[in-house]
Amino acid sequence: MDVSAIHLGHFQAMLLFALVISVAFGFLSRRRPIERIKYILWSLFLFLAIGIGIGWAMYPFSR
Amino acid sequence: MPSENNPNQMMGEQPDNASPSAAPSSAPVETLANAPNEISNAEKSFGGKSFGERPAGRQTQALAIAVAAWLVPGLGHALLKMWGRAVASFLTVAVLVVVGAGMRGNIFTSGGSDAFDTLGYIADLGAGCFYFLARSLERVGADVSHANGDYGTRFLATAGILNLLAALHAFEAARGHKA
Repeated sequence: MDVSAIHLGHFQAMLLFALVISVAFGFLSRRRPIERIKYILWSLFLFLAIGIGIGWAMYPFSR
Repeated sequence: MPSENNPNQMMGEQPDNASPSAAPSSAPVETLANAPNEISNAEKSFGGKSFGERPAGRQTQALAIAVAAWLVPGLGHALLKMWGRAVASFLTVAVLVVVGAGMRGNIFTSGGSDAFDTLGYIADLGAGCFYFLARSLERVGADVSHANGDYGTRFLATAGILNLLAALHAFEAARGHKA
């Protein structure tokens, strides 16, 4: 199997990373399905919000 | 109140599909909350009980589950009949490794030249059998001259660390700690 052709943009990579980690943390730290879903969604939102926030915070220093 | 003679209850093993509302009066939540007391009671009254109920036996069993969880992501939770966590651990580690290798991330080897290489090797090795899968998938070698390869390196390291976390979780669950 050749998987050497995966090209993800910055946001796509961040989104995939945030989704996978949120799912893993949600399943490991919560027991009931509804609590897992809430945790996954909240964690995913925080990952993205903080990531985009830090990105914009660095923008003035990028040049 | 759960029976002391039930090793599953004393180990705090809970299938993921256990629902407190669907359970009889000895609800799983109540069992988990009382698990430490039950374990200490079992340790006090130890003698003539089966292997799994002995503190040393339980510790050995928990270590075996942790090693299994490290070698094959999700296997530790599967042995504890925590199916949801087993599937989630396996899939998340698998996705991170396949995508990380596909993005041509750096897979560290034991012959690292500095401390960062060694740390990277330890992190990568945390993925267990997926470490070797990643090496077989990445035939053309790493390319960290672009952001894609750099992200791939992080994906691979995260897969290993995540698997170590899941193995630790399975170890704690096997010891009877609330998980």
